[in-house]
Amino acid sequence: MSLPMRIVTRVGRTLLLMLFVAAGTILLVRFAPGYFADSREMDAKYAEAARSEIQAENSQQQSLSLIAIREVKGWIKGDFGESRQYHVPVAELIGARIRVSALLLAEGILYGWLIAICAALPVSSLRKGGLLFGLPFTILLAIPAAAMATACILAETGGPVLVLSLLISARDFKFLRSLLEGEWRSPHLLQGRAQGLSPLALVRMHILPSVVPQLRALATLSIVTALGALVPIEVIFTVPGVGQLAWSAVMNRDLPVLVAVSLLMASVVGFAGLLSTRTLTLEEA
Amino acid sequence: MYKLLRSSLMSAGLVVILTLSAPGQAAPRQPGELAWAIHYDPKTFDPAKVDEQESEFVRYLTGGVLLRINRQTQQLEPHLAESYQVSPQGTLIVFKLRSGLRFSDGTALTSGDVAWSLRRVLAPATQAVVAEEFLLPAEVTVDTPDALTVRVHLPKRIIGIGKIFDEIAIEPANRPSEGRVTSGPFTVTDYKRGQYVRLSRNPNYWRRDSSGAQLPYASGVRLDILNNREQEISLFLRGEYDLIDRLSPDYFSIVAQKSPQSVRDLGPSLNTEQLWFNEFPGAPLPEYEKAWFQNQSFRVAVSEAIHRSDLARIAYDGHATPAYSFISIANQLWYNHDLKYPHESTADANRMLAASGFHRSGNQLYDASGHPVKFSILTNSGNPARQKMAAMIQQDLAALGMQVTIVALDFPALIERLLHKQDYEACLLGLSDVEPDPSSEMNIWMSSSPNHQWNPSQKTPATPWEAEIDKEMQIQASSSLQHDRKVAVDRVQQIVADQQPFIYLLYPSALQAISPQLKGVQPAILSPGPFWNIEFIRRQGGAR
Amino acid sequence: MRTRIAAGILLALILGAGLVLWLMPYDYAFQDRDAIMAPATAQHWSGTDELGRDRTVRVSAALLIGLAGASAAAAITTMIAAGFGLVAAFSRPAIAAILMFLSDVFLSLPWLFLLMMARSLLPLTASPMQTAVTTFLVLAALGWPACARAIYRGAAALRSAEWMIQGYACGLKTRQLIRLHLVPHLRPLLLPQFIICVPAFIVAEANLGALGLGVGEPMPSWGAMMLELDNSALLARSHWVYLPIALLIVVLLLLESFTTEAETNV
Repeated sequence: MSLPMRIVTRVGRTLLLMLFVAAGTILLVRFAPGYFADSREMDAKYAEAARSEIQAENSQQQSLSLIAIREVKGWIKGDFGESRQYHVPVAELIGARIRVSALLLAEGILYGWLIAICAALPVSSLRKGGLLFGLPFTILLAIPAAAMATACILAETGGPVLVLSLLISARDFKFLRSLLEGEWRSPHLLQGRAQGLSPLALVRMHILPSVVPQLRALATLSIVTALGALVPIEVIFTVPGVGQLAWSAVMNRDLPVLVAVSLLMASVVGFAGLLSTRTLTLEEA
Repeated sequence: MYKLLRSSLMSAGLVVILTLSAPGQAAPRQPGELAWAIHYDPKTFDPAKVDEQESEFVRYLTGGVLLRINRQTQQLEPHLAESYQVSPQGTLIVFKLRSGLRFSDGTALTSGDVAWSLRRVLAPATQAVVAEEFLLPAEVTVDTPDALTVRVHLPKRIIGIGKIFDEIAIEPANRPSEGRVTSGPFTVTDYKRGQYVRLSRNPNYWRRDSSGAQLPYASGVRLDILNNREQEISLFLRGEYDLIDRLSPDYFSIVAQKSPQSVRDLGPSLNTEQLWFNEFPGAPLPEYEKAWFQNQSFRVAVSEAIHRSDLARIAYDGHATPAYSFISIANQLWYNHDLKYPHESTADANRMLAASGFHRSGNQLYDASGHPVKFSILTNSGNPARQKMAAMIQQDLAALGMQVTIVALDFPALIERLLHKQDYEACLLGLSDVEPDPSSEMNIWMSSSPNHQWNPSQKTPATPWEAEIDKEMQIQASSSLQHDRKVAVDRVQQIVADQQPFIYLLYPSALQAISPQLKGVQPAILSPGPFWNIEFIRRQGGAR
Repeated sequence: MRTRIAAGILLALILGAGLVLWLMPYDYAFQDRDAIMAPATAQHWSGTDELGRDRTVRVSAALLIGLAGASAAAAITTMIAAGFGLVAAFSRPAIAAILMFLSDVFLSLPWLFLLMMARSLLPLTASPMQTAVTTFLVLAALGWPACARAIYRGAAALRSAEWMIQGYACGLKTRQLIRLHLVPHLRPLLLPQFIICVPAFIVAEANLGALGLGVGEPMPSWGAMMLELDNSALLARSHWVYLPIALLIVVLLLLESFTTEAETNV
């Protein structure tokens, strides 16, 4: 396939993905319990006002097609509609937060990978004691993100980047060690060691080139893991990013914001998939 | 191999470097600025459209009002109005403004601005929540005979009319500014969604202290938007926050340990925690279950079986008081001191159930038709004290042979089941920010109200006792004689204690943390709690 | 040898937990209200929790429920991921593209709302065990997409390996090749996925308690005990709150020693 054709296919795929995700999000959120509920209804002082607001909204939000039309209008206008909880354009809400989340994700994934690779390389080459040296990462897997965050707060050190990197490194370490152990045991590596090649040379010339496809696939997995961890970390540390906004949108059933966040998620997932696709395409070529 | 092992040290080194970053610091404080956390973004800064708590806090801090309730004495005090008079029939209120009043931008504040602000609140297009308190807002008129006099004409007497003006902020006529131009102690100067709201001192605020110094003392207030209790407490203990309003009971002891002079337990608040059963005849429940919940003996037996003192001691760590009425014992003016209520006794509860046709077989209670008594208690997630209470009630009712499941839902899902679908069996929730005057609970006690939780929106009262409650609540809402009102409210309290439509459990204590660096704080139970007299509060050595 | 030792220890833990539940005089729901957050005593070997319930009994019950539920869910989700990835790898490119597209859609959707719907479909009087089983099944059904793509890539890369071609040449069918040769080569992806899912599902089950799912009271939840670690007030009152996480680390180490042994035997 020619390059322009591949680009067109990739763009088309991403747009289709976003369409499906938007439709799915609208369906899920609209029919989830509590869509027409407002916590102010429980407050004797504000209940009446809340109820009138809900009734007014009800007439516009009952029909799926009306909701979908409003969403599409928002995309065309470029503001992605109006937030149900904040009554401001969704683009304004998200625009301010994308940079914060992108930075947090990038740092978390980068540091997580560095920690995992630097640990996995030597540990995977050991004949014995791998389990023991991998113990810190096993412990990290066991500790919930909220507990790590509390530990940071109590110790007055560390932060969201640390917690995200540790979460990612714990998962990546397991995969990397598993992958690299297999490589260390392959016959040509054993021969290389027997012939006196330095471990660093073996890693550079033999191991890394052969695990690159799996590394790309793991990169995809890392990005997806990081996306999943973003929400609890931003909420716990009160980071003003997309994850925090998404959580508030879930609790308030803010459909326009949720659609926009899902579209963002779809585009990141699509990009993450692109990473591993490219390698396969080269191999096939 | 050493080189490889070195890479593992690099890994550890990276962790150390990341560890050195700070977990979250509050924004730097400006000189003389007070700071604390609110839990959510205020939905609006327009004082006329306030309809939730965080916006209400901002309105309190920025909005100048004609009259203010002193949160300690509960008496009305003149603010922008130097004086006010209510006619004998209660249909005319005349306010006399202070002379020389100015907004924060220096423009004069006259009766025209007051009239405009009142009319805006009363206008249907504004949909101001406070307008409902005028009962017939469309028939209220306002006129201004001169620049310092405002006359408000009401279609009928409203009990406690003065307190309504505590919630109406006076804005410049035809120039609503969403808190940027105010007549209150502060103005909104900066807002970053999800981060903070910054308020600055109003240089033209009318009030001065006894020595003639202009108020407020503080140069500003920063309200950080923070929903993480651990972080809030950590920042408070580090001195970055000056107070914590609504400190939760499980953190009270931690703060008390680390900073004993900071914590305040003001005793029982006006809030309540209660359990109730779904008595709505149209609920999607089996008929035999509805029969249980509509049975007074069943409800009273449940009330008798619950060990309220254990709930207070364990779920609230001792920071709560057993409750038997919707009026808190802290509300000395309205509490019925002669109230007779069902006392804690599992034996009496068992006898009452037996007399009502229930019987035990092993550990299971059955009704007269042989149905095992099993039901669920719905509550909201994210409230640890309430979830502990639910688990304890589950055990208390197991002693009666009742099998209870606890279901904790997020608020929107809970409200849908509770208020929209009536699809629940029992519910455990609380009422917060309760006002002292019982009139504020009309829409809970009136049987026709959608907030009459156990059986809402009744066309006619379903039971004689609910009809009596309707009658007594109407009496207290319309009588101008305190004695008559008190008799009516006492009677309502007794009916509720006899019938147990709400099984009141606890009055949680008002817990606050106030930095020893603050001067002038007079903590109160009524919202906004520790900062109700914000003009007089300042940090030690850091005022003007 | 190591596998046998690990298996023995795991079995001992499980049997020990069972014995505790059988022999102790109180069940996991009993509240000793005069012994709230009590320290370890002869009566309560690891003290009591915030409601006076014996911690040893509750941790034992939580271990059995959590281990069974999370391991089963982790196994199911790994098998679904493997199946999905392998089908995609051995299908025509168009079908593989559709399957990967579906997995991306699945990854991007806010499934939390489906979980809310699942709770609303369950009767309110569903027992704690019923909600626990539902929760773990739903987690198993939702946890596979992230790994499926990695398995697809791994399998696709191995599809044209020399030993695969030789297998075909020897007359082996695709299914046989996948079962006998390909899956063992995918163990470096499958086994870590399983290990990672176990603690993730244990904690997820507790987090889903906010939506009315998870293990309901009074049944003890291992995840809920782990989440106590984020409460500094509790941490200050008792060191026994670390017991569940210590046990989880031990269990993970034991599971890991099975998996690393399995990889070595490829």
